[in-house]
Amino acid sequence: MPNPTKLTVSHAPFLHDGSEISNKQYNIIAATLIAVIAGLLQYGIPALGVLTLSVGSAMAWELLMNLLTRRPVSIGDGNAALIGLLFAMLLPAVVPWWLVVTGTFVAVVIGKQIYGGIGGNPFNPVVVAYAILMISWPMFLDFNAALVDYQFDFTAGFPLVLYEAYGTAGLESFSPGGLLLGQQAGGIGATFGLGLIIGGIYLILRGFIRWEIAVSFLAGIFITALCFNLYNPEVYAGPVFHILTGYALIGAFFLAPEDSSSPVHFAPMLIYGLLGGFLTVLIRNLGAHVDGVIYAILIINLVHPIIDKIRPKAMRRVMHHA
Amino acid sequence: MREMVKMVIVLTVLSSLSGGLLAALKNNTQDRIDSQVLTFVKGPAIENILEGANNDPVNDRFSLKVEGEEEERNFFVGVYDGNPKAVAFETRASGYGGDMGVMVAFNVESEEIMGVSVTTHNETPGVGATVETDTNFKNQFAGLPADAEPRVKGDGGSINAMSGATITSRAVCKAVSRATDLYQQLQSQIKDKVKTFTG
Amino acid sequence: MAKTIGQEFVKGLWEEIPPFRLVLGLCPTLAVTKSVENGIGMGLATTFVLVCANLLVSILSGIIPSKIRIACFIIIIATFVTVVELMMQAYAYQLFQNLGIFIPLIVVNCIVLGRAEAFASKNKVIPSFADGLGIGVGFTLSLTAISAVRECLGNGTLLGYSIFGPAFEPFSFMVEAPGAFICLGLLLCIMNLVGQK
Repeated sequence: MPNPTKLTVSHAPFLHDGSEISNKQYNIIAATLIAVIAGLLQYGIPALGVLTLSVGSAMAWELLMNLLTRRPVSIGDGNAALIGLLFAMLLPAVVPWWLVVTGTFVAVVIGKQIYGGIGGNPFNPVVVAYAILMISWPMFLDFNAALVDYQFDFTAGFPLVLYEAYGTAGLESFSPGGLLLGQQAGGIGATFGLGLIIGGIYLILRGFIRWEIAVSFLAGIFITALCFNLYNPEVYAGPVFHILTGYALIGAFFLAPEDSSSPVHFAPMLIYGLLGGFLTVLIRNLGAHVDGVIYAILIINLVHPIIDKIRPKAMRRVMHHA
Repeated sequence: MREMVKMVIVLTVLSSLSGGLLAALKNNTQDRIDSQVLTFVKGPAIENILEGANNDPVNDRFSLKVEGEEEERNFFVGVYDGNPKAVAFETRASGYGGDMGVMVAFNVESEEIMGVSVTTHNETPGVGATVETDTNFKNQFAGLPADAEPRVKGDGGSINAMSGATITSRAVCKAVSRATDLYQQLQSQIKDKVKTFTG
Repeated sequence: MAKTIGQEFVKGLWEEIPPFRLVLGLCPTLAVTKSVENGIGMGLATTFVLVCANLLVSILSGIIPSKIRIACFIIIIATFVTVVELMMQAYAYQLFQNLGIFIPLIVVNCIVLGRAEAFASKNKVIPSFADGLGIGVGFTLSLTAISAVRECLGNGTLLGYSIFGPAFEPFSFMVEAPGAFICLGLLLCIMNLVGQK
């Protein structure tokens, strides 16, 4: 017999422990701050412009949709701001204003509100928006072209483009330490690896994201990249390079573990993350696209309801008509 | 039983009426459709390979009977500086996605291939379908002698296949070989006919 | 419940407008609406088939035995589709090249069979004609609307004429396949929003 006291709920009154949607959103925003500030220091005023426009327009779209669908105004919960912020973190510092506004429109309206708002979206809204923009305007999201006016004291290239074009020979000027400290071209908030890792660990410790997804995503990248690297070290870069470049870190800590588009059980979370990492490296090494993180996350978002069906078998009797 | 008979009769009558109507319509529109195909499908291909001709090669055409074929083939004449010296016609070969039409132009004076161009094809978009635009590949045929039998390098020939599209490249070679065969076979007739056109 | 001829016609323009209200005929809707020209061409071809098929089905509905009615409808529809295909090849070849396989596929467009089965086989000739014309015009309007949005955003043109000027960067996602779904979904959503009031 199962323990009858285990699932019993006591009588009202209940105590609310104070956790709210907004609490979580603001904590995630706080966790991105180190990486964002590092990005702003590196890219200056244009990056700040992109960032404010992105956050502002995301909140404006949210408000507009709230009014259109006659629902309670939900910009206070911070989710729209978070979407805008994460979206800006992926963008190069120099992009046309209309690209940012279209992107947040796609993210907030098509990615989230169409499905009934927060918690209903099958995909991570930020990833949807970025993928659609990548299809439509690849020329504006090319980091080497967008950041051409900047003078850096390190190799000013998007590492993955160099990797795609020249193989490992293009990577000699990048050191793991430098990459970790953001000495690479890339998205506003996606280059300062150390900041992203600190933010991610903070979120894991506070319980806002599940460690299983973030760790298995990185492990997936590591294992797959290692296999490629061992197979032919001259053509395929090592695992550390893959983890520290492109959107790998921001994907692992901020994009893949998004609430409604990721699984909730233990084994499915591991599979979800591993699959994402595996696909990322596969697309980078074999595919035509420069960075695989965005498409990899879209694909695992798509399969997560199926993966989530993998559950521990119930002991004893199963109530089929429960 | 009566219902059964009725079903058979209704279906038969309906089908034969439909068939008859369509056959009549097909007969009446056939000429127009052929001329539309000439202007919109073969026309651009012909203009492409007979570039710089003074006449309109789509209009200046003659047809010849080829042994073993029921219908006559069309030959398009290109006139350069008042001098009719080019003739183009279409041959077919089987590509990756089915039948493929290739227009081949010959220079009747120097006995050389002037150019090739693809008219209709069903090749894979992005792979074999690049044959439409891949001028580097098609330019390899220009200047070959009119009795050449081009082959891709993998088959012991001299043509560089389009990357990833060996079967399509092979089909183009095959079609060009058929064209050169046909040209050799009908050479004297073609030359007589071509002379009758002037700019 | 008897409606006037006018009502039969008008219901196809709003109440039962495909593919927004009757969510039918999605295959051509999604596939050929890359440009307004294609959208209108497809709409008119379907309208022609719808009207002719409806007319003939309602005339013959007394003769056709009910057990083989679907086979008979399909023969009638396929005949008219082939007529359209041949005429288009003869007189509008470029449109034929653009629409390609989707012209023969009108045969299996469920709007056409649906109207024949649900309406024309049970109604008189004149209402059937009005119904076919209404649904057909409605379908043409919807295709034009969807393709206008897609061509505008995805290509920066309308019927081939540039409308935003050279500075416009086309949102090429809209002319890709996923853009068709999103565009159709958003228009459906707007229709429902407007319809609620």
